[in-house]
Amino acid sequence: MPTSMKSDRENYRNRIELLQGTLDMLILKTLQWGPQHGYGITQALRSRSADVLQVETGSLYPALHRMERQKWIAADWRQTEQNQRARIYRITAEGRRQLANDRSKWDTMVAAIASIMET
Amino acid sequence: MSFWQGFGTRKSDLDEELATHLQMAIADRVARGESSEEARAAAELEMGNLPLAKDVTRETWGWVSMERLVQDLKYALRQMRRSPGFAATVIGTLAVGIGAAAAMFTVVDHVLLRPLPYKDAARLVSVEEEGKSAKEIWNAPWLDIAQWKAESHSFENIAFSSGLGGRTYLEGKGASLQVDGQKVSSNLFGMLGAKPALGRGFVDEQPSFGAGKNADGIVLSHAVWEAAFGADKGIIGRVVRVNDVPYTVLGVMRPGFVYPLGHGFAGQVWTVNQLGSRDQGRDYKSDHYDVIARLRRGVQPAQAMTEMAAIQKRVAAQYEDAEDRADHNNILVERYGQSLVDADVKKALLALLAAAGVLWLIASVNVTNLLLARSMARQREIAMRGALGASRGRVLQQMVVEGLVLSSCAALLGIGLALGAIRLTGAVAPIHLNLDFSTHVDFTILGVLCGLTLLSAVVSSAWPALVAVRAPIEPALKQGGQQTGAGRKHNRLRSGLVAVEVAMSLTLLVACGLLLRTIYTLRHVPLGYRTDHIVVANLSIPSYRYVNKSVVSSLYQPLLERAQHLHGVSSAGLMSEVPLGQTFNIMFTLRMNGNSIMAGMKTASPDMQKIFGMKMLAGRFFTNEDTPTSAGVVVVNPAFAAEYAPNKHDPNSLLGMTVWNLRKGVPAKIVGVLDNERQKTVAEPSQPEIELCLCQITPDSGIYQPSTIAMDLAVRTQEPTAVMIPELRDLLKQASPELANSTFTTMDQIVEDSFGSQRLAAHLLEVFGGAALMLCVGGLYGLLAYVVTQRTREMGVRIALGAQRGNLLWLVMRQAGTMLLVGVAVGLGLALASGRLVRGFLYGVQAHDGWTLAGAALLLFLSGMLAAYLPARRAARVNPIEALRAD
Repeated sequence: MPTSMKSDRENYRNRIELLQGTLDMLILKTLQWGPQHGYGITQALRSRSADVLQVETGSLYPALHRMERQKWIAADWRQTEQNQRARIYRITAEGRRQLANDRSKWDTMVAAIASIMET
Repeated sequence: MSFWQGFGTRKSDLDEELATHLQMAIADRVARGESSEEARAAAELEMGNLPLAKDVTRETWGWVSMERLVQDLKYALRQMRRSPGFAATVIGTLAVGIGAAAAMFTVVDHVLLRPLPYKDAARLVSVEEEGKSAKEIWNAPWLDIAQWKAESHSFENIAFSSGLGGRTYLEGKGASLQVDGQKVSSNLFGMLGAKPALGRGFVDEQPSFGAGKNADGIVLSHAVWEAAFGADKGIIGRVVRVNDVPYTVLGVMRPGFVYPLGHGFAGQVWTVNQLGSRDQGRDYKSDHYDVIARLRRGVQPAQAMTEMAAIQKRVAAQYEDAEDRADHNNILVERYGQSLVDADVKKALLALLAAAGVLWLIASVNVTNLLLARSMARQREIAMRGALGASRGRVLQQMVVEGLVLSSCAALLGIGLALGAIRLTGAVAPIHLNLDFSTHVDFTILGVLCGLTLLSAVVSSAWPALVAVRAPIEPALKQGGQQTGAGRKHNRLRSGLVAVEVAMSLTLLVACGLLLRTIYTLRHVPLGYRTDHIVVANLSIPSYRYVNKSVVSSLYQPLLERAQHLHGVSSAGLMSEVPLGQTFNIMFTLRMNGNSIMAGMKTASPDMQKIFGMKMLAGRFFTNEDTPTSAGVVVVNPAFAAEYAPNKHDPNSLLGMTVWNLRKGVPAKIVGVLDNERQKTVAEPSQPEIELCLCQITPDSGIYQPSTIAMDLAVRTQEPTAVMIPELRDLLKQASPELANSTFTTMDQIVEDSFGSQRLAAHLLEVFGGAALMLCVGGLYGLLAYVVTQRTREMGVRIALGAQRGNLLWLVMRQAGTMLLVGVAVGLGLALASGRLVRGFLYGVQAHDGWTLAGAALLLFLSGMLAAYLPARRAARVNPIEALRAD
């Protein structure tokens, strides 16, 4: 199929878009507990969500790099406890503001959806 | 950190980051008890398509488009290496087009578009007095200017200037330097917004009859300061001598400052004009000035002209002589700089610019055609790339980048060609154009060049690319053959483009042919004199040295004597101006038998007739028996006889008539009528003219003053010019050091130069027309060669089915013939329509000259058929077995 590769790429983009607001919020929340590398973030999200949320590499890293550009998070190379070199991300002041903002929007939306669903 | 380093680092960073991620995932799984192989496989599966993840991540950096551009560039260069012939053709073709357009634009920019080097120049106007017709323009005496100053309200300021008179020499550190000297009003520089680079310049004060604050002050142009004083900063306050008069240097102007415009080639000096006895009246004895004024804000030149016309009526009323009154009755106010470029030159340059534009268009069409052919040949490659997932935009970008790379190479080559062409133009440009070609390509030109390149690239590559990209993928991949329906449509398109090329080339060829015929006709106009083996020196006379003595007896006569005895000189003569010299023009109004006569005045020595081999229609020329003490004699020309002879058909009836007084009480009689001569240009018939015997001119003759300004030495010699000129220069230098500045040329060269804009246009059109013909023939050949290759199999089938080889030859030739005929028909229409553009430059030939049109059309048609013959022969020689087996 001539377009198979293209559709694959589109899928990725769509998934990012679908999750965009939410994934950003989740990553920022994870980083609020402390600086973390990419793998750590996926593990944290998976364990906190009781294995429900599995963030894919193809979504996570584009999001991380984009948020770094937006200055919501910052990154540098450091040694982990297992003595491995890894790129560690931490949240910035701007990121905290963004998180608070996302959080209140999220709360409003959840409340709104809930009120619809309960009737 | 450079861009590429930064990009590279981040790229490897990302690789490492994802590798770390994978290792951590594996380590976790191993810790949970999986084997390392299982762990790796599971972790890799979980991570998914890693290169794609990397790609998408990198896209967030916003650098991917850059990366792709580099890919495309590399690919384009590879393509060029793979088919160097194609690349060379495209680059060469475009380079010719861009080069021609850039060269012509450079010239036009220099001559027509250059802004005036003054502050707020749009408000500067020249003010001139006008006689009965627009051809009679007069400068203004001081009294007129004073009245304008007092009565007009249109101007902020009025300034005036006049030449220092005669030739001006400045004594520099070494030799004396010939400069342009101007007497200006002290407010001029302030009005132009020009401040000196050194010194204070002139103090602005009212013109006065007594010595003002600027008395004996002089301001030097930057060029003079450098050439004569080695850019010595201590020059201010020093005394320099101009024409032997001492002046104190008050300032040095900035580089590039010139006033009046068009005088700056040798460098300039300015002194302040002091009013004197010659400024107290309004007649032929008064000094007359060039006037420049600055309009008040919001005042248009036309408004100022209306106001001034009313004032001028009152001004003219004060002229005492009735003829003078008529000559100064009107006024002309026009933007300064408007009248500086000859209308003839302006038209020639714009027409040539249009020709260069057409050539560029032909080149672009040609390249479009070539690229279109290639995009067709590459259809399968493009389809394959589409099938592999490249988006249309991506393929389009790649092809445009290829076009840009080709165009940029062409632009570089084009700059080279343009520079060469400008040199060439400089060499063939007639002297009186006063074009300064020393300046190289500047930023405007570079900007235009870049624009042209971009435009060429877009025009010639984007369109074929669009055509190629829009083609559906599947048929191109499915069909092995090259003859799809789309292919045939493209061939029609390409045939149309070739016809367009043919039409435009024909237009250029016709214009070129017409000008060549013009030059040919001009060369064969009977001049009435010989031009071979004559060396001419336009003397640079230090007139200031001859204020109180006779230049004739103290300079000209001894000079002539020595020149005649110079080795290799068979005869030598002096005259105000050699025919066609365009260095001298003095008209006198005389009275003869109570009639008013207008005639040009010249002076000549007896040998002139021998040197130029002129015949006499009646009477005799001057001889050595004509001396200052013998009876006054003059010679006239046939135009004079035709206009003023008592019997129009008999020039002899003029002989013995008195037309002129050499000086009070010494009448001069007509002793001969010289055979016709062309004076100004070959194309213009002669004007009435009177010649005086040089040796009879004394300081109190009316023509004495002019003859100290202009004089040509002409010698007839068998020696080569290169030998003769240094000998003459030495001779002149011995007579007076300033004469070494004289300019030397040959009579043949003067005739050539007199063809002026026609010659310039003809030379350039030869180049343009030749290039157009080559491009056009090349384009036709390219198309047919391509079509024949495409149709190899079809030809094979035809032969296999019994077609004669002659039929095949005819098949291809017929296709070429159709394109050519359509192109020629359209081209003839275009040529007739554009005839209006060239009509002004033609002499002895009509713009719709049948022979020229037919000749150009035939030349184009035959060259085209010749170009078509080669591919046609190839088509006819197709081996049917091989053709059917191939592909």
